[in-house]
Amino acid sequence: MARALWSGSLSFGLVNVPVEIYTAVRDLDMHFRQLHEKDGAPIEVQRWCAKEDVEVPYEEITHSYELDDGGQVIVDDDELEAIEPRRTRTIEIEQFVDLADVDPIYFDHPYFLVPSSSDDGAARAYRLLVDVMTKTQRAALGRFVMRAKEYLAIVRVRDGVLTLTTMVFASAVRPTKDVDAATQKAHKATRKQLDAAVAVIEELSTDWDPSSYKDRYRARLKRVVDRKRKGQTIKAPEPPQEPEEAPDLMAALEQTLADMRGSGGDGKKSSDKRQRQEA
Amino acid sequence: MPRSIWNGTITFALIAVPVKVHSAIEDETVHFHQVHAKDGAPIKHKRICSKEGKEVPYKEVAKGYEVRGSEYVLLSQDEINAAAGEQAHRIELDEFVCQTDVDPVFYDRTYYLGTREDGEDAYRLLHDALARTDRAGIGRWVFHNREYLVAIRSLDGVIALHTMRFADELVPAKDMDVPRPSRKPTDRELKMATALVDSLHDDFDPSAFRDTYRKRVLDLIASKAKGEEIDLPEPEEPEQTGDLIAALEASIKNGSSRSKRAKRPSSGNSQRKSSSKTGRKSAGKAKR
Repeated sequence: MARALWSGSLSFGLVNVPVEIYTAVRDLDMHFRQLHEKDGAPIEVQRWCAKEDVEVPYEEITHSYELDDGGQVIVDDDELEAIEPRRTRTIEIEQFVDLADVDPIYFDHPYFLVPSSSDDGAARAYRLLVDVMTKTQRAALGRFVMRAKEYLAIVRVRDGVLTLTTMVFASAVRPTKDVDAATQKAHKATRKQLDAAVAVIEELSTDWDPSSYKDRYRARLKRVVDRKRKGQTIKAPEPPQEPEEAPDLMAALEQTLADMRGSGGDGKKSSDKRQRQEA
Repeated sequence: MPRSIWNGTITFALIAVPVKVHSAIEDETVHFHQVHAKDGAPIKHKRICSKEGKEVPYKEVAKGYEVRGSEYVLLSQDEINAAAGEQAHRIELDEFVCQTDVDPVFYDRTYYLGTREDGEDAYRLLHDALARTDRAGIGRWVFHNREYLVAIRSLDGVIALHTMRFADELVPAKDMDVPRPSRKPTDRELKMATALVDSLHDDFDPSAFRDTYRKRVLDLIASKAKGEEIDLPEPEEPEQTGDLIAALEASIKNGSSRSKRAKRPSSGNSQRKSSSKTGRKSAGKAKR
């Protein structure tokens, strides 16, 4: 098990469970270092003052906030530290919500919450929370401070373990009403079109099996590095053309359905399927 | 809506839906520039070759992948970009899955899709069909020289696109070392914990939670000009619960007094529901 990123306690009313936070995602990306192409030597980044043209040691660097009028306000580390949230070591559950009511758009980074003490009381309190949240299908909302930043977090059960996910604040979510989404009546599909589109989607439907999707980018990048290592040349593929838009939606839908079933546009099978889906 | 960050076409079967992509989440972080404390001048980053000690122009920078201790495979940016995938500006949805089967842990970043000229009817059709089937379309999206797995679903009247985490990027829950309790929770503990969950239950209202830290940073910037200062409070250490039942009992009592609720949680179900409703509101407000 990796190192704990945080330790403190999860508080639920007057019940306190000592817990640790572990990341729930691992970084599998290939990381590159900047090199000088000519001699292959690593590149170092130095900070230079734009005015004096001298290198600036780290402790002489401070922060500036640019105002709308072009002026700047200097804010130093101590001042930023002074407004850091109170470093409480508590995740205080403020509220329980129905898990299904929280749209995934609010979910940011996932972590695991694990009891930090092998004490039986802690293990029992943890297990009680797991059981009651599983039974009620609810998730807990709370705030906590990690790395000098205050987070809103949702705690829920996943595979028998408490998962804490930091959340996006509602103010950061852009309103959907600002999106051009063709909501005007003129763009509404006919019943026949919608039925056909639904039939196409049902035909293409499968069970969600996350392990069936591989990171092809990661695999390709690894191949590029391997080939390069053997001294082979790498060429970028030519970009194919953007597909032309289907001129007639209904014709495209019908053609699709016919292709899929190897027979005419008989909508019966898919509508049966759909009814099952809706039931 | 700010300008789009990508234009392309979503296809499913023979249907093409021209779309533009907008970021759905705004970066609300207060950003600072690095400046030299002495003179307030901006800090420039210089790339220096560690061998020659000289500045390296950007076009001479290559990427190195470390194969063993300081031995690198040297790649140009173009060679790395070759791994991006087909730059076809097309997202092909070749599978649809039940939206509620996808655990939110797989969703990474969220984007909104907007219509492009002459694509309005197709956009609406895809949206309505996704909404009616409650399904998400799965495809691949090449963006900024990287291929992502994406899920496309209907959200609040628009089509949303999520980049997805791959299953192997998720740490399995079984890797977590969760100590087993000596015994399962008793019925009484479960009952009381359920009552406590009920008393703290409320509808999810995302706008009730504000980013107070961001506000503090902006306030600090505003007050900096006036020369004000803020105190640093002391941290506190919570105690571990000794007696679970006693803590649950006290919590429920605490919750009911806070919500001015007279009934005990063991009273009739409908009554509990309605009384806890008023309790939630005031408890929630008191917190924020």
